[in-house]
Amino acid sequence: MTNTIGIGLLLSYLFILIAIGVYGARVSMKTREDYFLAGRGLGSMAVFMALFASNITAFTIIGHAGFSYEVGYGAYGYVIGWSIFITPFTYYLVGYRSWLLGKKYGYATQPQVFGGIFNSKLISLLFLILLLYYTLPYLVVSIIGGSLAFTTVTEGLVPYWVSAMALIGISLVYTLPAGFRGTVLTDIFQGTLFLVVAALLLAAVARALGGFSEITADLLKSNPAMLERSLSDDLSPVNWFSYSFVNSIAVVVFPQIYTRILAARCSTNLKQVSLYYPIALALIFGVSTLLGVWGSVAFPGLEGKDADNIVPLLIHHFLTPTWMVLGLVVVLAIVKSSIDSQLLSVAHLVTDDLLPYFKKIESHQAVFWGRLFLLLFAAVAYYIALIRPAAILSIAGFAFSGFSVMLPVMIGALYWSRTTAQGACAALILPAIMLHLWYLDILPQWTTFGFMPVFPSFILAIITLVVVSCLTPAPSPDQKEKTFGLFGRVFQ
Amino acid sequence: MNFKTRLVLVIIIVFFMFILHNSFWLWHLDSRIPLLFNFMPFAYSYYVGYAILAVLAMKLIISLAWPDPPEDLFDEPEPLKRQNS
Repeated sequence: MTNTIGIGLLLSYLFILIAIGVYGARVSMKTREDYFLAGRGLGSMAVFMALFASNITAFTIIGHAGFSYEVGYGAYGYVIGWSIFITPFTYYLVGYRSWLLGKKYGYATQPQVFGGIFNSKLISLLFLILLLYYTLPYLVVSIIGGSLAFTTVTEGLVPYWVSAMALIGISLVYTLPAGFRGTVLTDIFQGTLFLVVAALLLAAVARALGGFSEITADLLKSNPAMLERSLSDDLSPVNWFSYSFVNSIAVVVFPQIYTRILAARCSTNLKQVSLYYPIALALIFGVSTLLGVWGSVAFPGLEGKDADNIVPLLIHHFLTPTWMVLGLVVVLAIVKSSIDSQLLSVAHLVTDDLLPYFKKIESHQAVFWGRLFLLLFAAVAYYIALIRPAAILSIAGFAFSGFSVMLPVMIGALYWSRTTAQGACAALILPAIMLHLWYLDILPQWTTFGFMPVFPSFILAIITLVVVSCLTPAPSPDQKEKTFGLFGRVFQ
Repeated sequence: MNFKTRLVLVIIIVFFMFILHNSFWLWHLDSRIPLLFNFMPFAYSYYVGYAILAVLAMKLIISLAWPDPPEDLFDEPEPLKRQNS
């Protein structure tokens, strides 16, 4: 009986996703802008859910809970503390000005916005190459992480290769026909489902362990280091400081996030998103932290990869079989919501910014090519996820840092009219090279002065941008006017 | 107040939030501040408060330096506009 209800729930979930795909395809117009940007007509809640769901990955509920299991409550501030403020702030800092340019000039991606600001094909190409270079490994790692989590939750009943195929296949069910609109509609549906199940899981774990206060009292007696940041080796102040430059400021550079900002209908939508965001981030990572820390009371002694399985373990032990299926659906939903947006943004970048170098395409043809690339990248990502090459995994290890060090160029281009194309080129290339030298252990560790490599690379990007821009001829008045004339009319 | 001054205020707000996040000198309070609601240690409740402060900071930034575009900004014909639709 329970199995029947569970299978019924799973089938209902799949049916809703297919229905969303069919509905999205029916209401979509067959134009490039509609397929990739939902016609730039998203309201506040749609932009918020789209951004948030793309931002939340398997790491949020699996990796972060595992980290909290090991280091305690301090994991909350370390991983998400600075993001709570700076991520929505970057939606203002970079997002709003980019949105203005996108709305005015029809830009739809970073290569178009920044290539347009500098009137430079080289800048456009550099953005394209770097974004694809960091996004593709990140996409593959998301698929690997999600598939492993799904296989763990099902206790191996669903093998890894089937999990990976299911994750990609289900994402394509609605993304292929409905494009961006399909991913946004599923984000809204899955986000709501997630909140309900996460609250239930938290309540079930708390009840089983004797209540909120009881768990903390247990921890105080058995492992007080879980409550004090200064007692954790993993949370040294220098790491804490460096980590401020890793994931939090990288988010707005992710192409799947940046594109969603450009899809907002009006500036009010973006303002509202930046107000919802801190609470939503604090809430979801707060739940994940509690699950991890409480898991250390329920299942003590797990280490490394085993600690990362804490949420699947809790789902197994503390939810009834029916809710367990919903728990599975939620894991699937979270992982999938970032995979679908990454796949779509990669297909978008190639269709809009690479294909035109080889073939002139009309707007309605762009939808066809977009779908073709979507299928192609899905197949390639699946293949790579199966063979798991070390080189790809190693790039993914510092993809976040790679995105972060692109931010100074984006800010410079949007705020400093003296920024030149040469300065931007140098500030994109040099820090990327340094990151590789540090992360691939070609340069000795002491050269980072104890910081994570992302911090000196970030500083290097700023210095390079300023110095090279000052040493090269200033942009032409026409070029400045195109961007800063527009901003001058808004920011008075 | 001109826009540059307001932008400076925004930078001060960001700096203030950054300092509050990297407030290592408060870490020793983790063992001294009583649990909030009898279960939240300071290392955790600090960021619950930080999230509320972040919303207020964003509200302030919006009122200081986030103007809406003029209504006619996107109406004018623009030869550089991409042929997207």
